[in-house]
Amino acid sequence: MTRKRLRIALAGNANVGKSVIFNQLTGLHQHIGNWPGKTVEKAEGTLHFKGYTIDVIDLPGIYSLSTFSLEELITREYIAIENPDLVINVVDASVLERNLFFTLQLIELEAPLIIALNQMDMAEKKGIKIDYKKLEKILGVPVVPTVAIKGRGIYDLLNKAIEVIEKRAAKPVTIKYGEEIEERIHQLISALKDIQLKYPARWVAIKLLEEDEQVEKEIRELNPEILKLAEKLAEEIEKIHGHPCPTVITSERYEAAGRIAREVQQILPSIKPSLSERIHNLTTHRVTGYLIMILVVLGIFQVIFSFGDYTSGLLSDLLYGYEPIFEQILGQGPLKEIVWGGIMEGIIANITIALPYIIPFYLILYMLEDSGYLARIAFLMDSLMHKIGLHGKAFIPIMLGYGCNVPACLGCRIMETERERFLAGFVVTLIPCAARTVVILGLVGAFLGIEWALALYIINLAIVFLLGRIAFKVLPGEPTALIMEMPDYRIPHLKTIIKQTWFRLKEFLEISFPLIIVSSVIIKLVEIQGLLKPLSQVLSPITVGWLGLPEITGVTLIFGILRKELTLIMLAALLGTTNFDSVLTPLQMFVFTLVVMLYVPCIATIAACTREFGWKKALAITVTEITFAILAGGLAYRLLAILNILEH
Amino acid sequence: MEVPLTALKKGESGIITSIRAAPGRGRCWGWGFQKRLVDMGLTPGTKVKMIRSAPFNGPIEVLVRGYRLILGRGMAERILVEVQR
Repeated sequence: MTRKRLRIALAGNANVGKSVIFNQLTGLHQHIGNWPGKTVEKAEGTLHFKGYTIDVIDLPGIYSLSTFSLEELITREYIAIENPDLVINVVDASVLERNLFFTLQLIELEAPLIIALNQMDMAEKKGIKIDYKKLEKILGVPVVPTVAIKGRGIYDLLNKAIEVIEKRAAKPVTIKYGEEIEERIHQLISALKDIQLKYPARWVAIKLLEEDEQVEKEIRELNPEILKLAEKLAEEIEKIHGHPCPTVITSERYEAAGRIAREVQQILPSIKPSLSERIHNLTTHRVTGYLIMILVVLGIFQVIFSFGDYTSGLLSDLLYGYEPIFEQILGQGPLKEIVWGGIMEGIIANITIALPYIIPFYLILYMLEDSGYLARIAFLMDSLMHKIGLHGKAFIPIMLGYGCNVPACLGCRIMETERERFLAGFVVTLIPCAARTVVILGLVGAFLGIEWALALYIINLAIVFLLGRIAFKVLPGEPTALIMEMPDYRIPHLKTIIKQTWFRLKEFLEISFPLIIVSSVIIKLVEIQGLLKPLSQVLSPITVGWLGLPEITGVTLIFGILRKELTLIMLAALLGTTNFDSVLTPLQMFVFTLVVMLYVPCIATIAACTREFGWKKALAITVTEITFAILAGGLAYRLLAILNILEH
Repeated sequence: MEVPLTALKKGESGIITSIRAAPGRGRCWGWGFQKRLVDMGLTPGTKVKMIRSAPFNGPIEVLVRGYRLILGRGMAERILVEVQR
C-alpha cells in the first residue's frame, strides 16, 4: 500500500515555540538546509500518522507578510505557490493581539489554516485567559490549545490537522476593512478579473494598496494600467485618513486583531512582578545588566574554549595515534603520505575543529536564543555595534570570533536581514581567532614584545571598524536598525536544542568535510611532487618583492589556509629553527604576522561561510581578505621601513 | 504636546501620531523600516509606554500592544507621540 503524502507548513511569529512544535512533530527525521538560492534556513521533517506520510516544513519566524525581509517573501511564496495541504499557524497565547495580526494575513492569503494556540501556560502565568472556542468561531479557523514544551496538545493538533485536510472543513471569515477601503479593494478586484494570478485576487488588491514592491512588480509586467489605478486609489485613501495608505491598511488590520483579542481574552492584572519580570529588570539595568552580561559572555567563552581546547587535544592525540597503523599498512611511500597526510589529516582537522567547538557553541547559542537572553544582549550592545554599521545582536558572533571564526560565522544567522548577516560574516572573519592569537603571541609577542602584539590587536580593531564601515556603505540595501521583540524569559526546551544542534552540525560537516579533505590532499600532492619550492618562487614577487619576506614564507602562507597556526609551525620546520629572530628581522616578523592575521581565516571558516552565505559570497569574502592582507602587509612594510621603528 | 518617542520618560505613555520619514530623502529611504514599525504594531493612534532606554544613546524598550519591543534610537526618534499625563 502506498501511503498518502501530505505537506504541512508551520508558520508564525518568532519566539512562539514554533521550532519546539516542529521538533515534537518530526522527531529525528529532519533535514536542515537552505531555501534554494537563499541564505535563509529551511527545516523539513517527516512523520507518519494515520496512514499518511506527512512532510512538515518549518517556515521562518516572522511578524508580517510584507516584503521587508527575505523570510517574509519566502513564507508567502511558499504558502501561495507551493500550496501546502495545510498551514498550522503557531500563535503565542500570551501576546495574542500581535500574533493575530499575522493570522489575519494568513487568512487573507486564503491558506488552508488551523491555529495552534501555544504557550497557554505562559499566558496563564501572565493572568491571561483565552476562550479558544470563541476565537475559533470568530475566525472560522479550528483552534487547538497547546503547551509544546510539555508536549501537551500536539496529538490533538495532528488529529485536527488531518480532520481539516480530509474534510476541507475550515471556512475562514473575510477580514473587512473600512467602507472607503473595501470599495477600492473591489474596484481593484474587478480590474484584476481577467488576469491570471498566482495569489488570490483580493489579496493582490490589498497588497497593491499597501504598495507591496513584489506584487507591484508582477502586476506591472501583466498590466501597468492596474498599477496606475492602484496608485490613484491609494492616494485617495491617504487623503481621507491623513496617513500613507499602507499604514492605514496595517492599522485597520491591527484594529481587527485587537478587537478579536479583546473579545476572547480576559486579563487579570498581576500585583507583584513575576520572577521573569524581575530577572528582566536586572539583566537590562544600566549597571547590573552590563555586569551580568560580562559574566555571561566570559562564562560562555570559558566553557566553549576550555571544553574545545581540552577535547580538541584529546581527539587529536587519539586520532594521531593511528598514524603507526597507517604506516604499517601503507609503508613510508607517497601512498601513505597522501592517505595519511592528505585525507586523514584533513579528517582530523575537521573533527578536532568542528566537534569540540561547534557542539558547545550551538548548544549555548540556542540556549541564549530560546531563553530570551540574546535579546537583552542586543539591547545593551546596540549602540557600540552601531559604530561598525551593525546592531546589537552582532555582538555575539563577533565576540565568538576571538575564539574561533567557524562558530562565529555560523552564529551570523541570528541577524535578521541577508545584508546584516553578510556584513556580520565579513566582520567576523577579520577577528583574530585563537589560532591567529598563537601566531601573534608566538612570533610578535615573543620576539618583539607584548606591546607590538597589542599594537596588532589595535590595528585589527581599527581595520574591522574601517572595513565594516566601508562594507556597510558599499553593500546595497537599507541601513541597520534594531526593531526586535523583547520576549519573556523562559526555560529553553533542551530536547529541541539538542536536535537543532545535531542537525545543524550534520549539515556543516557535509559541507566542510569534502572541502577540507580535498584541499588538504591537493596541498599534500603539491608537496610530494616537490612543487613547494617552485610555488614559493612563483609567489616571490608578492612575498619577497611586495612584502619583503623570505621566499619560503610563501609556502607557509598557503598551508595556513588549512589552519592558521600551521603558518608558525611550518615556518619553524622550513627555517629549521624556532629562534625566529635568527632568521627573520623584526620587521619581517611583524609584516608576516599582520598578513597571517588578516588573510582569510582557514578552510573551515570558508566552509562555514559557504554554509551560511552561499559559495559566491564566501568566495567574495575570501578574495577580498587575501587581497586586503597583501595590500596592508606591503604598506606596513614600507611605512615601518621609512619610519625606521623596527629593525629591518 | 507632540514629542519624539525617545523623549518619553521611564513609565510615561504616549499615543503615536505619526512616523516621520527620513528628512530630505523622500519615501524610499527608510520606507522598509517604516513599514516594519507599523507591522510590529506601532500604528498611529496606538498607545506606547516607555519602559527604559539603554545607556550610551542605545535603543529604547517600550510596551506596545501587550508586548515589549526594542527600538534603535535613530528609528525611535522618528516616531512622534502625544504625551499622556
